[in-house]
Amino acid sequence: MKVGLKYLFERKPNVKVIIFAGKGGLGKTTCSAALSYLISNKLNKRVLCFSTDPQASLSDVFERDLFGKGEIPIANNLYVLEIDADKRIKEYVEGIRQKIRDMYKIEEIPQEVEDYIESTIAEPAMYESAVYDAMLEVVTQSKYDYYIFDMPPFGHGIRMIAMADLLSKWVDKITEARRQAYEYEAAAAAMKRQKVTEREDLMLNELEDIRNKIMSFRNLVVDPNGTAFLMVLTPEKMSILDTERAIKMFESLDLRVGGIVINQVYPPWILSDPKASEYLKKKVISQKPLLKEIVDKFKDLIVGLIPMYNREPKGLEMLSKVSSELWESSIDLESLIGK
Amino acid sequence: MKKEKKDNPLGALKDTLMGFMVHSHVTSLLKMKTYTEYLFMIMTMGDMLGMPLLPPYYSLRLLPYMVPNIKSWKLRMLRDRDVTDIVVG
Repeated sequence: MKVGLKYLFERKPNVKVIIFAGKGGLGKTTCSAALSYLISNKLNKRVLCFSTDPQASLSDVFERDLFGKGEIPIANNLYVLEIDADKRIKEYVEGIRQKIRDMYKIEEIPQEVEDYIESTIAEPAMYESAVYDAMLEVVTQSKYDYYIFDMPPFGHGIRMIAMADLLSKWVDKITEARRQAYEYEAAAAAMKRQKVTEREDLMLNELEDIRNKIMSFRNLVVDPNGTAFLMVLTPEKMSILDTERAIKMFESLDLRVGGIVINQVYPPWILSDPKASEYLKKKVISQKPLLKEIVDKFKDLIVGLIPMYNREPKGLEMLSKVSSELWESSIDLESLIGK
Repeated sequence: MKKEKKDNPLGALKDTLMGFMVHSHVTSLLKMKTYTEYLFMIMTMGDMLGMPLLPPYYSLRLLPYMVPNIKSWKLRMLRDRDVTDIVVG
Protein backbone atom coordinates (compact mmCIF):
# COMPACT_ATOMS: atom_id res chain seq x y z
CA MET A 1 0.00 0.00 0.00
CA LYS A 2 1.40 3.35 -1.08
CA VAL A 3 0.93 6.33 1.14
CA GLY A 4 1.58 10.01 0.56
CA LEU A 5 0.13 13.46 0.84
CA LYS A 6 -0.59 13.22 -2.88
CA TYR A 7 -3.56 11.04 -2.02
CA LEU A 8 -4.70 13.41 0.70
CA PHE A 9 -4.66 16.32 -1.76
CA GLU A 10 -6.60 14.21 -4.27
CA ARG A 11 -9.16 13.32 -1.63
CA LYS A 12 -9.46 16.89 -0.40
CA PRO A 13 -8.81 19.22 -3.32
CA ASN A 14 -9.95 22.27 -1.36
CA VAL A 15 -7.34 21.99 1.34
CA LYS A 16 -5.47 25.27 1.60
CA VAL A 17 -4.22 25.14 5.17
CA ILE A 18 -2.08 22.35 6.53
CA ILE A 19 -1.28 22.28 10.21
CA PHE A 20 1.44 20.04 11.61
CA ALA A 21 0.89 19.38 15.27
CA GLY A 22 2.31 17.13 17.92
CA LYS A 23 5.21 16.99 20.33
CA GLY A 24 8.56 18.55 19.70
CA GLY A 25 11.46 16.68 18.12
CA LEU A 26 9.46 14.30 15.92
CA GLY A 27 9.92 16.18 12.66
CA LYS A 28 7.08 18.69 12.50
CA THR A 29 9.36 21.42 11.27
CA THR A 30 11.00 19.18 8.67
CA CYS A 31 7.59 18.09 7.39
CA SER A 32 6.32 21.66 7.25
CA ALA A 33 9.39 22.84 5.39
CA ALA A 34 9.38 19.87 3.01
CA LEU A 35 5.69 20.19 2.19
CA SER A 36 6.05 23.94 1.61
CA TYR A 37 8.94 23.28 -0.70
CA LEU A 38 6.93 20.68 -2.57
CA ILE A 39 3.86 22.88 -3.02
CA SER A 40 5.96 25.77 -4.29
CA ASN A 41 8.09 23.58 -6.51
CA LYS A 42 5.89 20.76 -7.73
CA LEU A 43 2.43 22.31 -7.62
CA ASN A 44 3.82 25.72 -8.55
CA LYS A 45 1.68 27.53 -5.99
CA ARG A 46 2.50 30.39 -3.67
CA VAL A 47 2.97 29.02 -0.21
CA LEU A 48 3.74 30.43 3.20
CA CYS A 49 5.53 28.25 5.72
CA PHE A 50 4.77 29.57 9.18
CA SER A 51 6.48 28.74 12.43
CA THR A 52 6.43 30.18 15.90
CA ASP A 53 9.09 28.04 17.42
CA PRO A 54 11.17 30.18 19.78
CA GLN A 55 14.10 27.93 18.95
CA ALA A 56 14.00 29.13 15.36
CA SER A 57 13.79 25.62 13.86
CA LEU A 58 12.81 26.81 10.41
CA SER A 59 15.94 28.92 10.35
CA ASP A 60 17.86 25.70 10.99
CA VAL A 61 16.08 23.71 8.32
CA PHE A 62 16.37 26.39 5.66
CA GLU A 63 19.86 27.26 6.87
CA ARG A 64 19.06 30.97 7.04
CA ASP A 65 18.32 33.38 9.85
CA LEU A 66 14.58 33.98 9.53
CA PHE A 67 13.52 34.46 13.12
CA GLY A 68 11.36 37.54 13.65
CA LYS A 69 12.27 38.91 10.24
CA GLY A 70 8.84 38.79 8.56
CA GLU A 71 7.86 36.93 5.40
CA ILE A 72 11.08 36.00 3.63
CA PRO A 73 11.21 34.54 0.10
CA ILE A 74 13.35 31.39 0.10
CA ALA A 75 12.76 30.01 -3.37
CA ASN A 76 10.33 30.60 -6.20
CA ASN A 77 6.80 30.78 -4.69
CA LEU A 78 8.11 29.76 -1.29
CA TYR A 79 7.92 32.21 1.62
CA VAL A 80 8.84 31.58 5.20
CA LEU A 81 7.57 33.38 8.27
CA GLU A 82 9.09 32.60 11.62
CA ILE A 83 7.43 34.90 14.11
CA ASP A 84 8.97 36.08 17.32
CA ALA A 85 5.92 35.65 19.55
CA ASP A 86 7.56 37.24 22.58
CA LYS A 87 8.34 40.37 20.62
CA ARG A 88 4.80 40.39 19.26
CA ILE A 89 3.35 40.20 22.77
CA LYS A 90 5.60 43.03 23.92
CA GLU A 91 4.47 45.27 21.08
CA TYR A 92 0.85 44.34 21.61
CA VAL A 93 0.97 45.13 25.31
CA GLU A 94 2.81 48.37 24.69
CA GLY A 95 0.02 49.30 22.29
CA ILE A 96 -2.53 48.74 25.07
CA ARG A 97 -0.50 50.88 27.48
CA GLN A 98 -0.26 53.66 24.93
CA LYS A 99 -3.99 53.51 24.35
CA ILE A 100 -4.61 53.98 28.07
CA ARG A 101 -2.19 56.91 28.18
CA ASP A 102 -3.85 58.54 25.19
CA MET A 103 -7.40 57.91 26.32
CA TYR A 104 -6.95 59.44 29.75
CA LYS A 105 -4.12 61.83 28.96
CA ILE A 106 -1.93 60.38 31.68
CA GLU A 107 1.80 59.80 31.81
CA GLU A 108 1.80 56.87 34.14
CA ILE A 109 -0.43 53.80 34.08
CA PRO A 110 -2.27 53.38 37.43
CA GLN A 111 -0.63 50.71 39.58
CA GLU A 112 -3.60 48.32 39.70
CA VAL A 113 -3.90 48.46 35.93
CA GLU A 114 -0.18 47.91 35.45
CA ASP A 115 -0.34 44.94 37.85
CA TYR A 116 -3.05 43.39 35.73
CA ILE A 117 -1.09 43.91 32.52
CA GLU A 118 2.00 42.34 34.07
CA SER A 119 0.04 39.31 35.25
CA THR A 120 -1.45 38.69 31.82
CA ILE A 121 1.98 38.82 30.18
CA ALA A 122 3.08 36.04 32.52
CA GLU A 123 0.15 33.80 31.46
CA PRO A 124 1.36 30.88 29.34
CA ALA A 125 -1.83 31.06 27.26
CA MET A 126 -0.78 34.56 26.24
CA TYR A 127 1.94 33.13 24.02
CA GLU A 128 -0.45 30.73 22.34
CA SER A 129 -3.10 33.38 21.79
CA ALA A 130 -0.52 35.65 20.19
CA VAL A 131 0.49 32.80 17.88
CA TYR A 132 -3.11 32.04 16.90
CA ASP A 133 -3.71 35.71 16.32
CA ALA A 134 -0.72 35.83 13.98
CA MET A 135 -1.93 32.70 12.17
CA LEU A 136 -5.34 34.20 11.65
CA GLU A 137 -3.80 37.42 10.44
CA VAL A 138 -1.74 35.80 7.67
CA VAL A 139 -4.60 33.61 6.51
CA THR A 140 -7.05 36.53 6.49
CA GLN A 141 -4.68 38.56 4.33
CA SER A 142 -4.93 35.68 1.80
CA LYS A 143 -1.75 36.56 -0.05
CA TYR A 144 -0.87 32.90 -0.61
CA ASP A 145 -2.45 29.83 -2.17
CA TYR A 146 -1.36 27.54 0.65
CA TYR A 147 -0.46 27.96 4.31
CA ILE A 148 1.64 25.44 6.16
CA PHE A 149 1.72 25.83 9.92
CA ASP A 150 4.37 24.33 12.13
CA MET A 151 2.48 24.50 15.41
CA PRO A 152 4.12 24.67 18.81
CA PRO A 153 2.99 21.92 21.20
CA PHE A 154 -0.48 22.83 22.37
CA GLY A 155 -1.21 23.98 25.88
CA HIS A 156 -4.24 25.49 27.52
CA GLY A 157 -4.69 28.09 24.83
CA ILE A 158 -6.01 25.63 22.26
CA ARG A 159 -9.03 25.07 24.49
CA MET A 160 -10.12 28.46 23.23
CA ILE A 161 -11.52 26.69 20.17
CA ALA A 162 -13.77 24.52 22.34
CA MET A 163 -14.90 27.68 24.04
CA ALA A 164 -15.67 29.51 20.80
CA ASP A 165 -19.41 28.84 20.85
CA LEU A 166 -19.60 29.50 24.53
CA LEU A 167 -17.67 32.72 24.09
CA SER A 168 -19.93 33.77 21.28
CA LYS A 169 -23.07 33.35 23.39
CA TRP A 170 -21.30 35.04 26.23
CA VAL A 171 -20.49 38.06 24.07
CA ASP A 172 -24.20 38.29 23.29
CA LYS A 173 -24.94 38.39 27.01
CA ILE A 174 -22.27 41.00 27.62
CA THR A 175 -23.62 43.09 24.81
CA GLU A 176 -26.98 42.91 26.50
CA ALA A 177 -25.48 43.95 29.85
CA ARG A 178 -23.62 46.76 28.16
CA ARG A 179 -26.76 47.98 26.45
CA GLN A 180 -28.60 47.99 29.75
CA ALA A 181 -25.90 49.96 31.48
CA TYR A 182 -25.97 52.37 28.59
CA GLU A 183 -29.74 52.78 28.86
CA TYR A 184 -29.56 53.54 32.58
CA GLU A 185 -26.87 56.07 31.95
CA ALA A 186 -28.80 57.61 29.08
CA ALA A 187 -31.97 57.85 31.17
CA ALA A 188 -30.08 59.42 34.07
CA ALA A 189 -28.35 61.79 31.68
CA ALA A 190 -31.63 62.79 30.11
CA MET A 191 -33.08 63.64 33.51
CA LYS A 192 -30.01 65.67 34.34
CA ARG A 193 -30.20 67.13 30.84
CA GLN A 194 -26.69 65.99 30.00
CA LYS A 195 -25.14 64.07 27.14
CA VAL A 196 -23.83 60.49 27.44
CA THR A 197 -20.31 59.54 26.48
CA GLU A 198 -19.59 57.61 23.29
CA ARG A 199 -17.18 55.20 24.91
CA GLU A 200 -19.79 52.47 25.22
CA ASP A 201 -20.02 51.87 21.51
CA LEU A 202 -16.27 51.61 21.04
CA MET A 203 -16.14 48.92 23.67
CA LEU A 204 -18.94 46.93 22.08
CA ASN A 205 -17.16 47.12 18.75
CA GLU A 206 -14.03 45.82 20.39
CA LEU A 207 -15.95 42.91 21.90
CA GLU A 208 -17.57 42.11 18.60
CA ASP A 209 -14.15 42.05 16.97
CA ILE A 210 -12.77 39.71 19.63
CA ARG A 211 -15.70 37.38 19.12
CA ASN A 212 -15.13 37.35 15.37
CA LYS A 213 -11.45 36.61 15.83
CA ILE A 214 -12.06 33.66 18.14
CA MET A 215 -14.79 32.25 15.91
CA SER A 216 -12.70 32.65 12.76
CA PHE A 217 -9.76 30.92 14.37
CA ARG A 218 -11.97 28.04 15.43
CA ASN A 219 -13.49 27.79 11.97
CA LEU A 220 -10.06 27.91 10.38
CA VAL A 221 -8.68 25.08 12.50
CA VAL A 222 -11.67 22.74 12.45
CA ASP A 223 -12.74 23.26 8.84
CA PRO A 224 -12.66 19.68 7.45
CA ASN A 225 -12.54 20.76 3.81
CA GLY A 226 -10.14 23.65 3.81
CA THR A 227 -7.80 22.55 6.56
CA ALA A 228 -5.81 19.36 7.10
CA PHE A 229 -4.72 18.89 10.66
CA LEU A 230 -1.81 16.45 10.60
CA MET A 231 0.28 14.82 13.29
CA VAL A 232 3.81 13.52 13.01
CA LEU A 233 4.96 10.45 14.91
CA THR A 234 7.95 8.13 14.95
CA PRO A 235 7.91 4.33 15.35
CA GLU A 236 8.49 4.46 19.07
CA LYS A 237 6.21 3.29 21.85
CA MET A 238 6.09 6.66 23.58
CA SER A 239 5.34 8.51 20.38
CA ILE A 240 2.47 6.13 19.55
CA LEU A 241 0.92 6.54 23.00
CA ASP A 242 1.29 10.32 22.86
CA THR A 243 -0.38 10.47 19.48
CA GLU A 244 -3.28 8.35 20.70
CA ARG A 245 -3.77 10.64 23.66
CA ALA A 246 -3.47 13.76 21.52
CA ILE A 247 -6.08 12.49 19.05
CA LYS A 248 -8.50 11.97 21.93
CA MET A 249 -7.74 15.42 23.31
CA PHE A 250 -8.30 17.05 19.92
CA GLU A 251 -11.53 15.12 19.45
CA SER A 252 -12.83 16.54 22.69
CA LEU A 253 -12.26 19.96 21.13
CA ASP A 254 -14.14 18.93 17.96
CA LEU A 255 -10.86 18.94 16.13
CA ARG A 256 -10.54 16.01 13.78
CA VAL A 257 -7.02 14.82 13.01
CA GLY A 258 -6.82 14.58 9.23
CA GLY A 259 -3.77 12.39 8.96
CA ILE A 260 -0.64 10.99 10.50
CA VAL A 261 2.86 11.09 9.03
CA ILE A 262 5.25 8.39 10.20
CA ASN A 263 8.75 9.80 10.35
CA GLN A 264 12.17 8.22 10.82
CA VAL A 265 11.30 4.81 9.40
CA TYR A 266 14.29 2.52 8.71
CA PRO A 267 13.80 1.30 5.15
CA PRO A 268 13.25 -2.50 4.83
CA TRP A 269 15.85 -2.95 2.08
CA ILE A 270 18.53 -2.61 4.77
CA LEU A 271 17.76 -6.21 5.73
CA SER A 272 18.75 -7.55 2.33
CA ASP A 273 21.76 -5.30 1.93
CA PRO A 274 24.90 -7.38 2.53
CA LYS A 275 26.88 -4.23 3.37
CA ALA A 276 24.45 -3.05 6.07
CA SER A 277 25.62 -3.44 9.65
CA GLU A 278 24.04 -5.79 12.15
CA TYR A 279 23.19 -2.76 14.26
CA LEU A 280 21.09 -1.23 11.50
CA LYS A 281 19.43 -4.55 10.72
CA LYS A 282 18.43 -4.90 14.35
CA LYS A 283 16.92 -1.41 14.18
CA VAL A 284 14.78 -2.43 11.19
CA ILE A 285 13.60 -5.57 12.96
CA SER A 286 12.80 -3.77 16.21
CA GLN A 287 10.71 -1.19 14.34
CA LYS A 288 8.53 -3.82 12.72
CA PRO A 289 6.15 -4.53 15.63
CA LEU A 290 5.89 -0.82 16.37
CA LEU A 291 4.99 -0.05 12.77
CA LYS A 292 2.45 -2.82 12.92
CA GLU A 293 0.96 -1.25 16.01
CA ILE A 294 0.80 2.11 14.22
CA VAL A 295 -0.98 0.56 11.25
CA ASP A 296 -3.40 -1.29 13.52
CA LYS A 297 -4.22 1.79 15.52
CA PHE A 298 -4.24 4.53 12.92
CA LYS A 299 -4.60 2.67 9.61
CA ASP A 300 -6.84 5.05 7.69
CA LEU A 301 -5.17 8.08 9.13
CA ILE A 302 -1.69 7.34 7.79
CA VAL A 303 -0.94 9.83 5.03
CA GLY A 304 2.82 9.87 4.89
CA LEU A 305 5.94 7.82 5.45
CA ILE A 306 9.41 9.34 5.67
CA PRO A 307 12.51 7.17 5.87
CA MET A 308 15.34 7.68 8.32
CA TYR A 309 18.16 9.53 6.59
CA ASN A 310 21.82 9.11 7.22
CA ARG A 311 22.11 12.83 7.76
CA GLU A 312 19.92 15.60 9.09
CA PRO A 313 17.36 16.85 6.55
CA LYS A 314 18.61 20.40 6.15
CA GLY A 315 18.89 22.71 3.18
CA LEU A 316 16.81 22.80 0.03
CA GLU A 317 18.43 19.74 -1.55
CA MET A 318 17.65 17.46 1.39
CA LEU A 319 14.20 19.04 1.73
CA SER A 320 13.49 18.17 -1.86
CA LYS A 321 14.28 14.53 -1.04
CA VAL A 322 12.03 14.54 2.01
CA SER A 323 9.29 16.28 0.10
CA SER A 324 9.11 13.66 -2.64
CA GLU A 325 8.85 10.98 0.04
CA LEU A 326 6.13 12.98 1.74
CA TRP A 327 4.27 13.35 -1.56
CA GLU A 328 4.45 9.65 -2.34
CA SER A 329 6.46 7.34 -0.18
CA SER A 330 9.01 5.07 -1.84
CA ILE A 331 8.54 2.53 0.93
CA ASP A 332 5.52 0.31 0.75
CA LEU A 333 3.69 0.29 4.06
CA GLU A 334 2.71 -3.38 3.71
CA SER A 335 6.29 -4.43 3.06
CA LEU A 336 7.27 -2.83 6.36
CA ILE A 337 4.91 -4.86 8.45
CA GLY A 338 4.55 -7.92 6.22
CA LYS A 339 5.82 -11.27 7.40
CA MET B 1 -26.58 77.27 31.03
CA LYS B 2 -25.43 78.62 34.40
CA LYS B 3 -25.71 82.16 33.15
CA GLU B 4 -29.25 81.47 32.05
CA LYS B 5 -30.20 80.31 35.54
CA LYS B 6 -28.86 83.46 37.19
CA ASP B 7 -30.68 85.71 34.78
CA ASN B 8 -33.94 83.90 35.02
CA PRO B 9 -35.17 83.18 38.58
CA LEU B 10 -38.15 81.31 37.22
CA GLY B 11 -35.87 78.97 35.32
CA ALA B 12 -33.82 78.37 38.47
CA LEU B 13 -36.96 77.55 40.40
CA LYS B 14 -38.04 75.18 37.65
CA ASP B 15 -34.67 73.44 37.79
CA THR B 16 -34.84 73.17 41.58
CA LEU B 17 -38.31 71.67 41.44
CA MET B 18 -37.17 69.25 38.75
CA GLY B 19 -34.23 68.39 40.97
CA PHE B 20 -36.56 67.55 43.88
CA MET B 21 -38.62 65.33 41.66
CA VAL B 22 -35.99 63.38 39.77
CA HIS B 23 -33.08 63.33 42.18
CA SER B 24 -33.91 59.97 43.73
CA HIS B 25 -34.66 58.50 40.31
CA VAL B 26 -31.36 59.69 38.97
CA THR B 27 -29.51 58.24 41.95
CA SER B 28 -31.15 54.87 41.67
CA LEU B 29 -30.64 54.75 37.92
CA LEU B 30 -26.98 55.56 38.34
CA LYS B 31 -26.72 52.89 41.01
CA MET B 32 -28.26 50.34 38.65
CA LYS B 33 -25.88 51.48 35.98
CA THR B 34 -22.91 50.94 38.29
CA TYR B 35 -24.14 47.44 39.19
CA THR B 36 -24.54 46.37 35.60
CA GLU B 37 -21.15 47.88 34.92
CA TYR B 38 -19.67 45.76 37.71
CA LEU B 39 -21.42 42.71 36.34
CA PHE B 40 -19.92 43.41 32.97
CA MET B 41 -16.50 43.74 34.50
CA ILE B 42 -16.82 40.43 36.32
CA MET B 43 -17.70 38.80 33.02
CA THR B 44 -14.78 40.26 31.14
CA MET B 45 -12.11 40.88 33.73
CA GLY B 46 -13.12 38.05 36.04
CA ASP B 47 -9.58 36.73 36.10
CA MET B 48 -8.62 39.78 38.13
CA LEU B 49 -10.67 38.22 40.89
CA GLY B 50 -9.62 34.69 40.02
CA MET B 51 -12.42 33.91 37.57
CA PRO B 52 -10.81 33.26 34.20
CA LEU B 53 -13.09 33.72 31.22
CA LEU B 54 -11.89 35.59 28.18
CA PRO B 55 -8.36 34.63 27.04
CA PRO B 56 -6.14 37.29 28.64
CA TYR B 57 -4.76 38.26 25.27
CA TYR B 58 -8.21 39.55 24.35
CA SER B 59 -9.32 40.90 27.71
CA LEU B 60 -6.32 43.25 27.50
CA ARG B 61 -8.01 44.94 24.57
CA LEU B 62 -10.95 45.90 26.77
CA LEU B 63 -8.76 47.07 29.61
CA PRO B 64 -8.32 50.68 28.44
CA TYR B 65 -12.08 51.27 28.58
CA MET B 66 -12.31 50.12 32.15
CA VAL B 67 -9.43 52.00 33.66
CA PRO B 68 -11.56 54.56 35.55
CA ASN B 69 -13.70 51.86 37.21
CA ILE B 70 -11.08 49.35 38.23
CA LYS B 71 -10.09 50.67 41.63
CA SER B 72 -13.61 51.10 43.03
CA TRP B 73 -14.73 47.83 41.45
CA LYS B 74 -11.93 45.82 43.02
CA LEU B 75 -12.56 47.40 46.41
CA ARG B 76 -16.24 46.63 46.20
CA MET B 77 -15.86 43.07 44.96
CA LEU B 78 -13.09 42.04 47.29
CA ARG B 79 -14.34 43.47 50.60
CA ASP B 80 -15.91 41.21 53.18
CA ARG B 81 -19.65 41.01 53.23
CA ASP B 82 -21.53 40.90 56.52
CA VAL B 83 -25.07 40.96 57.87
CA THR B 84 -25.46 44.69 57.35
CA ASP B 85 -24.85 44.19 53.64
CA ILE B 86 -27.84 41.90 53.44
CA VAL B 87 -30.00 44.21 55.53
CA VAL B 88 -28.96 47.41 53.79
CA GLY B 89 -28.55 45.83 50.38
